Amino acid sequence: MSDRPDNTSRCPFTLDRRRFLQGLGAAGAAAGLGGSAWAGSRDDAAGAHAVTGAPVSTTTQQSHPFHGRHQQGILTPRPATGMVVVCDVLARDRAGLERLLRILTERIAFLTQGGTYPKRDPSYPPADSGILGPTIAPDALTVTVSLGASVFDERFGLANAKPKHLQRMTGFPNDALEPARCHGDLSLQICANTHDTTIHALRDIIKYTPGLLMVRWKQEGTVPVMPPSPDLPAPSARNYLGFRDGTATPNTDDDALMNALVWTGADPDEPDWTHGGSYQVVRIIRNFVERWDRAQLAEQEAIFGRRKESGAPLSGGSEYDKPDYANDVDGQITPLDAHIRLANPRTPGFEKHRILRRPFNYSNGVEANGQLDMGLLFIVYQADLEAGFITVQNRLNGEPLEEYIKPVGGGYFFTLPGAIDEHDVLGRSLLEATAPHA
Amino acid sequence: MSPRALFFAASVFGLMALQTPAQADVDPEALVEPIAEYKLYVLDNLDQFVSHTEKFTQAIEAGDLERAQALYAPTRVYYERIEPIAELFADLDASIDAREDDYEHGVEDPDFTGFHRLEYGLFKEQTTQGFTPYAKQLMTDVNDLESRVQDLTFPPAQVVGGAAALMEEVAATKVSGEEDRYSHTDLWDFQGNVDGSQKIFELFKPLVAEEDPAFVDRVEKNFAAVEDTLAHYRHETNNPESGFVSYEKVSETDRRAFVGPVTVLAEDLATLRGKLGL
Repeated sequence: MSDRPDNTSRCPFTLDRRRFLQGLGAAGAAAGLGGSAWAGSRDDAAGAHAVTGAPVSTTTQQSHPFHGRHQQGILTPRPATGMVVVCDVLARDRAGLERLLRILTERIAFLTQGGTYPKRDPSYPPADSGILGPTIAPDALTVTVSLGASVFDERFGLANAKPKHLQRMTGFPNDALEPARCHGDLSLQICANTHDTTIHALRDIIKYTPGLLMVRWKQEGTVPVMPPSPDLPAPSARNYLGFRDGTATPNTDDDALMNALVWTGADPDEPDWTHGGSYQVVRIIRNFVERWDRAQLAEQEAIFGRRKESGAPLSGGSEYDKPDYANDVDGQITPLDAHIRLANPRTPGFEKHRILRRPFNYSNGVEANGQLDMGLLFIVYQADLEAGFITVQNRLNGEPLEEYIKPVGGGYFFTLPGAIDEHDVLGRSLLEATAPHA
Repeated sequence: MSPRALFFAASVFGLMALQTPAQADVDPEALVEPIAEYKLYVLDNLDQFVSHTEKFTQAIEAGDLERAQALYAPTRVYYERIEPIAELFADLDASIDAREDDYEHGVEDPDFTGFHRLEYGLFKEQTTQGFTPYAKQLMTDVNDLESRVQDLTFPPAQVVGGAAALMEEVAATKVSGEEDRYSHTDLWDFQGNVDGSQKIFELFKPLVAEEDPAFVDRVEKNFAAVEDTLAHYRHETNNPESGFVSYEKVSETDRRAFVGPVTVLAEDLATLRGKLGL
């Protein structure tokens, strides 16, 4: 299953070899002579390889089980890269939608576990893009499938089964939504250790769903990688404003808490088929980073309500210590309109509004004014969209942070329950619940 | 007629088989006749292309803006049909059919000539003034193309691969409406590409029909689906000569309705060379 030998043993060898060549000097010089690496000895080739060879990873064999009550990519530890691809469903009828869900299930089951593609006669297009070589390593890939409100229109006979809170996202006061980066029938959240693994998965899915899916918009993102930490829990990753992001995320090891906050099912008004699914919110939130980098550190920390370096609340302690608002009712220490205080006032009864954050940082290009187009690919999951994101965002409207951020795209989706075994198909409970009576 | 929402028959497209396709055992001799027939098709279209280009360029030289505008799309159709062969001559393809995006300085670029340079004048600037040199150049290039194609031995792989290449053209530049962004006559080009692709498929169909009837059935149904959609936007539904409404009148929904069958055709026709052992 591996595309290369065990990397833990390979890596030191490569380094030793490189040092060995540098020590020799002459061999390195020989390799540098126009193209001689190709024609020269093995040592020459190794010298060239030090520059052009593939970077080594020891985590290509990490994999997450595809089958289960819930889809992967929600409670799964967030890897270094992720993207959200939102598609419109081109299938014209229920049979087409069923076929799409079956193909998606098959492709994701294969891609997340890895393996090889069938060989074809060379006069045919190959079965795979080939960008990861002949053997696909799982590389911690997850692909999470969610449906937008528009799928529950008249096309597929799903209108009576729409999740209670699923709706087309409407703009909040600080939003400047671009139609080309909003909404859609179906979202794919694709995450992996390396960017190329996510691209490979996307190209595979596009190739195997012609006539069924059309990509509407896509946003890629990353999470900064950190060295292993002796501290537990590990410090949260930083966003492009330089602050730790996700500190207050609810404990994903607590099943009861996840059933209350993340997995839909407790609300008797939700259709039964939704049980085990979750509401997904995606927002493309541009950060005005040049301006931010010119803002006072004290102002930045007051805006978030945390210390920039450590992530500790302004009320003291370290990153994971709870902020103390009880002794600061006037907001002398943590301003009343600080981001974390608005988002979670830590008041009795507010626990039910907590959401599971799983964001990535994005960097796209340059705006016409020469400023960088970057920010946060905000992704959150919750059992109840109204109680979760919508409530929290409404509390944040008008916060001082708005001067430095501008949401420009995104959408609301419902993440399907998982495929429980190899006979199951993503979306089965929805299709069964809406099956036409014979 | 006025454009209206389109709904295809159930499950017409998207039935593409995902397993490894079977390879037909095709005798290379069997390719000779369809290749010869295709050359006749190309020459016939080139003949029409030359005579239509004459009328089109004469209208520009005579300063007849309205006539030149009317002849722009009906002239291009012949070129769009035979693009797999025309594109073999990269220099002429650039001078006849390049778009402003192909040049760093866009419409101001001195190397930008051909149909789309004229389109900019006729539809954006609404004038024929100063376009005689471009018209003369176009006529020269089109005549040059005809004589070069007459001398050409048609490469079988290029011809068979042309069926898919034309659908790639549609998928990449027609659906978005970027090909004819000033005249909005994209549906004419769209039809030309589809005609050319379908012609190639029809010529080689007998060689694959026995081996893979499901493939043939699927391709025919998807061509029919595209044809249906195009027909909705003709001035007269059943008259291919009547021409098309402006692409601006094609709704976002209907533009997307093209994407399904066009993508499946592109995937399917990409296996035609393999099926014929090319």
